[in-house]
Formats: sequence, structure tokens, C-alpha cells
Amino acid sequence: MTAARYVGARVLRVEDPAFLMGRAHYLDDITPPGTLHAAFLRSPHAHARLVSIDTSRALMLEGVHAAVTGHDLRDEPPFTTTIPTRPECKTGTRRLLTIDKVRHVGEPVAVVVARNRYIAEDALDLIHVEYELLAAVMDPEAALAPDAPLIHEELGDNDFATIRFSAGDPDAVFARAPHTFAKRFHFGRTHAAPLEGRGVIGDWDAVSGRVTVWTSTQMPHLVRGLLAGQFGLPENRLRVICPAVGGGFGLKVTLFVEEAIIPLLSRQLARPVKWVEDRYEALAASGHSKEVVMEVEVATAADGRFLALRGSYIGDGGAYLAHPWTSLIDPLCAASFLPSFYDVQDVSYIVRTPFTNKCPAVAYRGVGWTSGQVAREALIDDVARELGIDPVEIRLRNAIPDGEPYLTATGASYDGGSFSESMRRAAELVGYDQLRVRQAALRREGRYLGIGVSPFVEQGGWAARIAAVNGFPGFAYLDSVGVTMEPDGTVTVASGFQANGQGHETTLAQVVADELSVPFESIRVVQGDTDAVPYATGSYGSRTAVVGGGAAMRAAGDVRTKLLRLGAHLLEASPDDVELADGHIRVKGSPAQAVTVKQAAAAAYFGPRPDDLDPALSATRSYDPPETYSNACIVAVVEVDAQTGKVVVERLLAVEDCGTIVNPLVVDGQVSGALAQAVGAVLYEGLPYDTDGQFRAGSLADFLYPQATEVPAIEVSHLETPSPVTEGGFKGMGEGGLIGGPAAIVNAIADALAPFGARIERTPLRPCDVLELIERGGERDRAS
Amino acid sequence: MDDQSGTAPVAAGTTPVVPGIGHAPAVWAAGLVRLRVNGEPRSGVAEPRTLLSDFLRHELGLTGTHVGCEQGACGSCAVLVDGELTLSCLALAVQADGCAVETVEGIAHGSRLHPLQQAFQLKHGLQCGFCTPGMLVAARALLAATPDPSEQQVREHLSGNVCRCTGYTGIVDAVLEAARALRESGEPGA
Repeated sequence: MTAARYVGARVLRVEDPAFLMGRAHYLDDITPPGTLHAAFLRSPHAHARLVSIDTSRALMLEGVHAAVTGHDLRDEPPFTTTIPTRPECKTGTRRLLTIDKVRHVGEPVAVVVARNRYIAEDALDLIHVEYELLAAVMDPEAALAPDAPLIHEELGDNDFATIRFSAGDPDAVFARAPHTFAKRFHFGRTHAAPLEGRGVIGDWDAVSGRVTVWTSTQMPHLVRGLLAGQFGLPENRLRVICPAVGGGFGLKVTLFVEEAIIPLLSRQLARPVKWVEDRYEALAASGHSKEVVMEVEVATAADGRFLALRGSYIGDGGAYLAHPWTSLIDPLCAASFLPSFYDVQDVSYIVRTPFTNKCPAVAYRGVGWTSGQVAREALIDDVARELGIDPVEIRLRNAIPDGEPYLTATGASYDGGSFSESMRRAAELVGYDQLRVRQAALRREGRYLGIGVSPFVEQGGWAARIAAVNGFPGFAYLDSVGVTMEPDGTVTVASGFQANGQGHETTLAQVVADELSVPFESIRVVQGDTDAVPYATGSYGSRTAVVGGGAAMRAAGDVRTKLLRLGAHLLEASPDDVELADGHIRVKGSPAQAVTVKQAAAAAYFGPRPDDLDPALSATRSYDPPETYSNACIVAVVEVDAQTGKVVVERLLAVEDCGTIVNPLVVDGQVSGALAQAVGAVLYEGLPYDTDGQFRAGSLADFLYPQATEVPAIEVSHLETPSPVTEGGFKGMGEGGLIGGPAAIVNAIADALAPFGARIERTPLRPCDVLELIERGGERDRAS
Repeated sequence: MDDQSGTAPVAAGTTPVVPGIGHAPAVWAAGLVRLRVNGEPRSGVAEPRTLLSDFLRHELGLTGTHVGCEQGACGSCAVLVDGELTLSCLALAVQADGCAVETVEGIAHGSRLHPLQQAFQLKHGLQCGFCTPGMLVAARALLAATPDPSEQQVREHLSGNVCRCTGYTGIVDAVLEAARALRESGEPGA
């Protein structure tokens, strides 16, 4: 490793100019010659038997090329989804287009292909569907009742999996503990809602036997593999191109049925076919996230030390399993991080995953860690209030020791962090003690300020080991990066980690530039095409800095070894006697004897070079990292208007430690963006269904993104505890703001409303919900 | 040219009839729309119902203007029509006939970034880039009218533009930075 010059620096992003000039190409900016356009007819009902579908009038409309129903695709294999390494799991199947019944509002029932999208949508109005309504199952707990209507009859009940875990003897600890506390929390549905929705272009070339699929995804190679299996094609016949992605946030680490249907339409019509979802489709029918009904309990000593934790997590999986992750991605990840930041070794949980007649549950930044964090941290604030201990103090009393390896009760091997330090620093930066003084003064004026703290441990770099810790054991991951030094000494990095806003073209280049001691500007990162980059599972789970950065370091290290041999040969020195620094290969102790990296690169291609050296200046290496964990503490300060229920987020502050920072600009941006999503998830972004299963948030007038006026100037501060176990010391980050943020905001609101005796048990907390909390709290006070 | 909306004008009287529904609305007569875009005269075919956003993107090939919601709620499609900040997903192409339209593609000077664009890069005011064209167009309109905005003015002005990536911190910093740079260079709102 040469001295770091770029890693750690606030390098401006090389991808920005194209975006800023409107020259980047997203999926809908690509239209191959001859493209036809698809539109989906979607169910208006939550649960209904499909009696008949008549597409004949749609087919008569000028410009319509096809109208396809489930019957037309009945010979296509269904998506088959399970976690085969977990015997508790059933196996879910989903036809590409349903035949028997619809299971949520927005489920596709037919698709029209036409000359343009306008005509395709006109034709949808000409399709006649007869439905026979069935009772809808909208409540995840009710879905588990023995007499609940079945959503997938073949599974026998509505529970995809029930998973139990216990470490130590929590029940015995609870039985004799001085205090026990319980909290129920229903974290509401939310939506990753990337500004660019999903979109697919399929081009099935029967002549060459090649199938090209453009899709807006975070996982091009996994899409290729899953679709090759789906279509019965050799994997090397499929090419997945992923253009610029207008945000993913985990939603696009799902394979959607539309991604399989559109290429099949291209096969049928021998023309490229494109579908770009509209905002209603995005909101109603892409994927919802994070809805978990939780009951968490803590047993404590008299001094507030935590002795044991128990949790129940019912994750509302919606109508179908997210492919390939399943609906466990929220509740099981929530449960696996029940202890998180706290030193508790007696822990148990139960996870259940009911199907309901709602949009399928998919991953969204922080998955179930978000929901689980909210339930645990809200419980801890209850404990602090009951025992009269400051919320910061009670957490510090229970924190895992800083800096040391630690094995959690749920099996996570932490690689050392700044747990208490991050919390102390956050309290100091926010001016915690002064805020408490101000809070007391404002309360005397009838104003309600609240402070919420939320420390957490964040998995960094989802790969085999971390997946196992989160309850997904027995899977290997192959994630590789290719590094090639060209004849002129410039470097091409080929990455299968698909960026969707994180700036990989900059950060991976920083890592490689340091490894090869070449200027950052001489590096170009290629991504977005399975024909052009080596295999990787993609960009999700805060993994690219750790897994991709590590693979890039290893590949660049192989190239560096060859450069040193080439340089030594040019210098007529032993490879052991030369070193790489400042763009030169030098004889150690004799710095005047040197060749440039560029000269050594040229020698590889054109000589002179050692006879026994394979001169290919290219390496592809993978990295399957050991477990690594970032940590952080979020503090939220809010003011609640008790008359209107409006919550103003005054401050949001993060102290985060993701080990070695590749680029603080990018890290700050990730924290800030995730915290804005936390504001949305808690205060604005409800996805309500009524009891009949009608979806009530089908437009952006209903689903409210936080805007510049709702998000404060976010404050981010860094600690840097490099991982002792990963390449480069990277720990991985990106999700944390949305893991810790919602709990901080919920706790701040609870703190503000403490004088009313309000108990928060659900999100979202819109003004009407806050007013209800105030009224109910008052009623409780009068009753007691 | 690809086979996009509006490229196949059908003469009145020849529209096919669908049994039971009469004339298909998709083929109501299309016409020529002439306008100036980023200073250049352009023209293209649009049906009466063709959205300005679709016309710019698919008829004129100016794909820098993005469509995020088609509901007028996200601001990704913002353009200037005769200097007025306009959501092109809520405007019809025919309404822009004879107008001067400015899109994100017209902001840079050739391949040189405009100070506003430079500020967005410097302050990390973009991540995935999808909202960026609308943000830039909206910010330009602000700076043209208000060369020295306060942070609150920036936030309120941009409240019609959604960003899902940045948390707005970098965007607000970028607009304030651009305002400063433009004032110092003596070309406010340029």
C-alpha cells in the first residue's frame, strides 16, 4: 500500500458534469429503433377472483400490437421464491401475470403493447375484466388468524415463515428482574420512492439468439442470472444494460415480474419493447417497505442496566414475496439487530411474515433495522422516563465497550467501534445540556421542544457472513472488480457494483489511484453492462466501499506487483529492491534511479520485459469480507405545535464512524439523504389502505416527500475507527441515517409530548396523529 | 426517428373506428409545433394531447428534462417557457407553440459548466442526478429574480422540486454558493 493521497480526500465527483448538463442517460432516455411501448392494466381490487378478461376491443385500436393476459403467459415458469437454507420457510410462487385471482390493488392483470405509450394506455380502457370480489386481508396480525381468508391457498395459511431464536435464558432473567418493560410499535409502511421509477426495455433478437435487457436496477448480474433461468437461456446470451439509475435505495434490488414480462413481449413481437412505470404504478405496485408490528421487552436492574431483551416482529409481507429476498428482509433483520448497540447476552425473538392483500414488501435502505431500531429505542426512552434516568445516560450505561471486538447474542462479531464516544460527541455537538435547559424554559411558555437520541450499530458490506448474521445463512457471494492498466499507463476499472447515485466512478477510482500510485484523473470506472464488467451481485446493503473497494484493492494490488517487476527489469534491479511511490518505481534508497508507472506499463505491452512474467496488466479479483460494522448516533430536535399537531424538525445531527472514509463528500451526502428519508418516513409518507383494501396514496398529493422546507440543514460529524479486519479498513455506510434517524425523530416527538402523557406506538406521525396522541394522553391522565 | 407519439399524423376523416367506442382518441389530428429551444428554432409533430415534456424528450430528443411523476408534484420536468418556470408534464406541447423554451441542456456554455452547475458539483448538490435538471432550472429562475437569496428563500423556492438523495443540504448550499459566485463575477442570474 502506497501512502494515501486520494482515499480520505474530498474529491469532487467525476460523474457530475454529465448529470448537470442533462447528458446522462436514464432508462427512458434510451429508445432503440423500432421500439414499441407497453402499459399494464392493474387491478382496482385488493382481492378478487378473475372471472374473465376480454382484450378483443383493445386489439382493434389502431396502433396496438398485442394485448397479453395471464392465459397467454401460462406456460412461462412462475417466480419461485424461498430461503432454501431456512427450513422454516415455505416456497412462494408467482405467475408473471396472474390467472386465478388478484391479490393487491395495482397487481398487473394484462399488458398492452402499442406504437406509443399514449395508445397503449388508451387500449387499457378497452379491456374488460370481470372480477368476483373476495374478502381482503389487510391487517398483518389478522392475516395470521386460523380463520383468515387465504391469499395463497396452496400454502395452507398466510404465514411465509415463523422463525424463533433464543440465546442465554431471557425468560428466566425476565422472571427475576427488578423491572420489566414492554412496548408495542407498529412501524408504518413506507416507500423507497426513487425519483426515477422502474423501467425495462427488452430486445429479443431471435436471429443472433441474444437477448438484451435494459433495466433500472441495483443488481445487473443478478437480473441476468435470474432472467436466464426464467427464460431457459444460457446466461451468456443475456446482456443486462443498466443506464444511469435515478435512485434505488434498495427497491431496485428486487426482480420484478415486469422485468421478465417485457422481454417476453419483445420475443413475441420481434421488436424492442419498453415500459416505464408511472407514479401511480410506483406507489401502488412496485414495493412497500418496513411495515413491522413489534412488541419488544426489556428486563432491567434497579440502576437501569439492561439484563435481557425479547422481541416479536410481524412483518407485513404484502401479497407476494420480494424476489429473491423474500419478506423476511424486514422483520428478520429487525430481530437480528435487537441488541444492536447494547451489551445484553440474554436475547430471544420470534419473527412472523404474513401475506396480506397489500403491495409486496421489498427492501428499502436500512430494511428492518429501521423498524427494529424505532421499537427498541422508543422502549428505552420509556424505561428512562419510568426510572428517572436521562436517556443519554441510560444508553451509555448499557453500551458495548468501545474499540474491542464483541460477539452479540444474535451472533454478530463486531470489529470494534466508537459506540459511547459517538454518543458523547453527538450530545456535545448538539448542546444536549443546554437544550434541556431551553426545553424546560419553553415548556413554561406552552411550547414543546423534544430531543431524541438514537445510537446504533450498522452492518457494513452485506456479503456471506453478514447475511448469515441477519438470518440468511448458507449463501456465498461473488463480487469482483477488474483493473486494467492500459499501454499509456491509464487505468480502466470494471465494476459490477451498479451505482445509483453513490458516486462509484469517483470512489472506486480513488481507491485504485492510491494502490497504483497514479493520478486520479487517469482512472476511468466502467459499469452498467454485464458484457463489459465482471460478475458482482450489485450495490445494496452499504456494501460497495467494503466489498467493491476491497476487490478493487486486491485487483490493483496484483497489477502493482507486475508493475514492480516491470520497473525492476527496466532498472536492472531486483523486484525486492524497488518500491512504488508518486507515480514512479524507484530503487529503494536510491530515489534518482526510477522509471515512471507509464514507462513500466508500456514495457508490459511493448517490452522490454522479463521473460518469465505474464505481462497482462489486468486482474479481476473478488472479495468476500469478514464481518464489519459501522456505528453512529443520531440526535433529533423537534418542536411540536400542540394546537395544530405540526412537527418542525429543528435539527438533525449525526456522528458516524464508518472506519476509513473513502470520500467525506460522498459520506456526508449519504448521511444527509438518509436522514431526509427518515423525516419522510416518520412525518409524511404514509401508504394507507382502507379496510376494503383500497389504496389511498396513489399520487404525490397523498404520498408526501419531504421537501427542502421540511428538512433542516443536516449536521454530520465523523469519527474514524478503521476496521482491523477488512481491506483498507472500510466499514461501509449509506443506510445508517435511515436506520437511526426515524428512532431519533420518534423519540424527540415523544419527549416533546411527555407533558401530555402521550405514548407513541405507530408511524407515520402526521399532524392529525399528533393531535390524537395529545388528546389520548390527556384522557389517560384523567382516567388514572 | 423512433416510432414515438405524435410522429404519425393521421388526416381527419381517415381515423379508424373501434366498434362501440367511435373514433380512437389517439389519432386525433396531430400538428406541427414551432418554438425556440435554448435559442435555436426547433419544430416537431405533436398531437393535441402530447405533453410538453414528452415532446421535448421524445420528439426533439432533449432527454435532459426528466419526468418524475406526471402529476406536477416533483419538479423534475421544470423548464422555462418565455422565462416562466413551468412544469412541462402539466403543459401541452401545443401551448409552447411560438414560445422560447429553456431546458437544462441550455445552461452550460458549450462544455464549460455554468457557475450554478459548478456549485452543484462543489457542494455535492446531486447524487443520482434525476432531479438535478429541474433543480437547476428552478434555481436559475430564483437567481434571475433574487440574486442574493437567504437560505429560507432558497428552500421555499425549491420546495416544488423533490430530491430523494441529498437531503437538500448540498443543494441549498450550492444555490447560495452560486449566488455568491454570480454576484462576484458580475453576471447575476446569467
